[in-house]
Amino acid sequence: MSETELTRKASHWWQSEDARLLGGLWAVFTVLGVIFALIVPDHLMGRSASNTMTEVERTFTAFSVASAPVAAVVWALLVYSLWKWRRRGDWTPDDPDGPPLRGHGWATGLWMFASSALCLFLLVWGLAALSSVDSPATASTPLEIDVTGQQWIWTFSYPDNGGVESEDLYLPVNRPVVFRVTSDDVIHSFWVPAMGIKVDANPGMTTTTQTTPDRLGVYHVKCAELCGLLHADMETDAHVVSSADFDSWASAQGGSQ
Amino acid sequence: MTVAETYKTDPVKGGPDGGIMRRLNVGTGIAAGIILAFVAHRVVGHLADDHVHQVDVRATATMVGWAIGFMAGLGAFTGPFRWMVGKDLTHADELFLAGKDQGIGRYFRFTTDHKVVGIQYLVLTMVMLGAGGTMAMLIRTDLISPNSGFLGPQTYNSLVGLHGLTMILATIIMVTGPFGNFVVPLMIGARDMAFPRLNALSLWLLVAMLPVLYSAAFLGGIPMGWVGYTPIADQGPAGVDAYMVAILIFAVSTAVAGANITTTIVTMRARGMTWTRTPIFVYGVLASVVLALPAFPMFMAAEILLLVDRLMGGGFYVPNRGGQPWLYQNLFWLMGHPEVYVILIPAVAALMELTAVFARKPLYSFRVAVLSIIAIVGLSVTVWAHHMFASGWAPDLNGPFMLTTEMISIPTGGLFLVILGTLWRGRIWTTLPLMCTYAMLWNFIIGGITGIYLSDVPLDYQLHGSMFVTAHFHYTLMGAGLTGAIGAMAYWFPKMTGRMLGKTSGFVSFWLVQIGFNVTFLGMFMVGMEGQPRRVVHYDAAYHTGNLISTIGAYFIGTGMLILLYDVIASWHHGAVAPINPWGAKTLEWTVPNPVPLENFAVLPVVTEDAYGYGEPAEAEPAPVPARVGAGSDQGEGAMT
Amino acid sequence: MVSRVFGPALTIVCGAAFVALMGYLLHQQPAPALAAAPQGASDPHHVFLHLSTYPDSLAGEHGKDGSPEPDWVSYGPTTTLTAPRNSLVTVTISQYDGGEAITNPWFAQVHGTIGGTETVDGKPVTKIDPETVGHTFTIHAAPTAQDPLFVSAPLPAVPDDAPLAPGSAYPKPIEVTFSFRTQGPGKYVWNCEFPCGDGTYAKFGGPMSTRGWMSGTLTVT
Repeated sequence: MSETELTRKASHWWQSEDARLLGGLWAVFTVLGVIFALIVPDHLMGRSASNTMTEVERTFTAFSVASAPVAAVVWALLVYSLWKWRRRGDWTPDDPDGPPLRGHGWATGLWMFASSALCLFLLVWGLAALSSVDSPATASTPLEIDVTGQQWIWTFSYPDNGGVESEDLYLPVNRPVVFRVTSDDVIHSFWVPAMGIKVDANPGMTTTTQTTPDRLGVYHVKCAELCGLLHADMETDAHVVSSADFDSWASAQGGSQ
Repeated sequence: MTVAETYKTDPVKGGPDGGIMRRLNVGTGIAAGIILAFVAHRVVGHLADDHVHQVDVRATATMVGWAIGFMAGLGAFTGPFRWMVGKDLTHADELFLAGKDQGIGRYFRFTTDHKVVGIQYLVLTMVMLGAGGTMAMLIRTDLISPNSGFLGPQTYNSLVGLHGLTMILATIIMVTGPFGNFVVPLMIGARDMAFPRLNALSLWLLVAMLPVLYSAAFLGGIPMGWVGYTPIADQGPAGVDAYMVAILIFAVSTAVAGANITTTIVTMRARGMTWTRTPIFVYGVLASVVLALPAFPMFMAAEILLLVDRLMGGGFYVPNRGGQPWLYQNLFWLMGHPEVYVILIPAVAALMELTAVFARKPLYSFRVAVLSIIAIVGLSVTVWAHHMFASGWAPDLNGPFMLTTEMISIPTGGLFLVILGTLWRGRIWTTLPLMCTYAMLWNFIIGGITGIYLSDVPLDYQLHGSMFVTAHFHYTLMGAGLTGAIGAMAYWFPKMTGRMLGKTSGFVSFWLVQIGFNVTFLGMFMVGMEGQPRRVVHYDAAYHTGNLISTIGAYFIGTGMLILLYDVIASWHHGAVAPINPWGAKTLEWTVPNPVPLENFAVLPVVTEDAYGYGEPAEAEPAPVPARVGAGSDQGEGAMT
Repeated sequence: MVSRVFGPALTIVCGAAFVALMGYLLHQQPAPALAAAPQGASDPHHVFLHLSTYPDSLAGEHGKDGSPEPDWVSYGPTTTLTAPRNSLVTVTISQYDGGEAITNPWFAQVHGTIGGTETVDGKPVTKIDPETVGHTFTIHAAPTAQDPLFVSAPLPAVPDDAPLAPGSAYPKPIEVTFSFRTQGPGKYVWNCEFPCGDGTYAKFGGPMSTRGWMSGTLTVT
């Protein structure tokens, strides 16, 4: 019997051997992918130090889990096709061709529907996360900090504390903070990886980003836009301290509380 | 009356066919280029009295002088010049220009035969990939340890920028250049492209561009990445002028090539080749240039404004003169996003073409393939600001751009569906071209999914400007794009060179490159998520492991690509002689003999069905066979049975 | 078998040799370092560095004729510095150059030094007049540095009408002295934070963006 006739013998598509084996492979790869998605991203991105970063890690994990079955379909088909339908040796003109299948409407439709549904899910999740990140609902008034990027040093100014200026960033824990970022020369990018915030520092403009640091510690502030000779050295530290420690730091710098 | 008989114009008196073209070649081009560069350098030095801008004005004028001199010395302007003085090129002149009876010398002149131009593009692409690859090896060597000190920051930044630009330019041309030129006219049943002289012009402009681009190394380098963001581009030394002029030359070349390819595909398909019977690779090439035609002029405009800033004290991008750096970013990414699809679509289309051949099955759902390509082309011009989510420009537009970007995943998935559906229940012959399809699917699913992460704005705030982005675009442009180009080369090598590519070397190279590639860029995803920024000459000790892994993987890629280089050269020289149709493919280019005759077909073919009739019962006569057309049939050389 | 391996092997060797050649031509070749050293037989953990800032490149590490950029302002005698770990480093800078108003007045203040002061021609100050700044000497951390180090010392400008010192091509310099402590070993960078790359955007191009002129390295050994 030709291969085309064999497929007609199975009364339903899900009873065919191809579909079952493929389904099994897909399930295995999906499980592996989901395990990877639940463990690896969080491990690499480290412990979150702000509510924003917590949201970032959640989104990354959710998208990874949602992508696992998609990647698994592709991997399953790749592996299965090589195992089942591969011909050995070299092709000669005597070898018969494969079945003349030019397309199944329902398979195409199903694929398009699934990819559109997945796209919609990603979009809705993304818009929700975006609104919570860009305009967070905060109980207290945020602390405002002016960030200036200059080739190749960050300086921070605290208008709420009498204009204290420093090249280290000090933040009180659990208090929302708004960064107003600008540059004195070329484009830099103000990035605190542990807090999941980044915005470019543009000359002549002020851009903003905001978050609420929620873990004590010392974190890195980096520049994420190539800005010339010492771009790789444009780093400083962000110290998240208790409110009391923050106040005493501000006073020691000559500012007000 | 034959077409040749209409050329009854008088030949140029007193000289052999070709006239001055007989004496012009790449050597005279280089000589003329150097002379005009020198002249421009002297003359402009006297004109530019402003000390501040003098260096830039001089550098720019010298480079432009080189380019014009090179093209003139090569004979690129002979056609229009002869027309202006009333001595049109005759048919015999045009046959000379096409390289008739010239042996290997025709590869070193301004030759218009699309097959010669295709081979020249292939060599040019290999040279550019070699240059970019060398730079990549140096970059990765510097990053082998946190602060290796191997390269200084200025050198490193310049290498990163030049590596990026070299590879972007190389990947733009790598499928459309060699195979769009050599294969597409054959595949559509034409004798050449619509504008053969423009074809040669587009290639030689790129040859003129290369010394300009690499002169940046001697002019202080470039302080910015390949994207050339302002205002740091305003600040940089004369190397930035080299960058600008190179891009201006490239944009002209692409515009010319795009017009040529579009006209050829739209108007010169063989009789009977309706759009339904046009092979998918032709669609891919057409989509790529249709996208490139509006996109690259945006890049050119961005650089012209930068040129005005740097050379004439303009203020387009300088804030304290009323300028705005965001203008550059918008102009650039209006080119930059379509450009990645310019790179990707022909590579994937070539793989779709060859997958049908090696699965011995029709292309699954041809209409979905075409519609997906069209949808990608349409959507790709609506997504550009996803590169600017973190720039602070127009935050209210972040949501809409997130929408359009995520929507592109749907037609991209359509391309996957077509390839996977073609493999489904096929009779799969795992030749090197088909292995490239498998590698592309593996790489592109990773590249595509990581693109989804970047399209989500809050995630992009974290990941933008980190090594995660670098890994993502290498997975798509190199893992899918370059892999597709290698597959295309392995597939069409027998037709282009008349030899079979060596199998063992090919497979060894394939596995070294693909495994090395995945190791390299998975390491980069790792350090990007850990917090390493892009384009840094040294990094925090915490990222050492990932970088070490990446560097080792990179050395594997380099080794694998060198083996492929050897395979190409050795097989070209003394590989097994290829039969006319070693793969049993059904597209028209496999019906012509090796070596392909100058005018391709003895008789232009008439097409009665598409090229995917695998497994379908044969018609009364197999298609596509050249029908006995009445008028205008001259047998010429290479008659077929 | 050997012949089939020979071709690819030779290609790999040639390719690697080409990359190695490019690496050799491009690799970083810093000038010999100026090491901070103790003075005489006194405390070995107190070391001294003497630098100068010049209005041109004729006296730095660039050779007698100042090539390739004789007009560029420059630090000298070199920008490659070393200092021992866990030491007190006293730096004296002879400032020969003029100047003008600094763009960011924060860098007209002294930061990170012992006592937060520097002496200018013998007088201790915590900041200088932001309207007449010549250069700054600012050390900051590379990300691989183990211990943080941030020092910024502003250097006042020599007045434009100052006469040339006898027997010299330059006016009498302003002497600035400050001290800071090093901790563990590490590699740091330093540069001038008063943009003076005339003609370039934001004046941060030219010598400001080139190693060996207004930017250098400090290695704590």
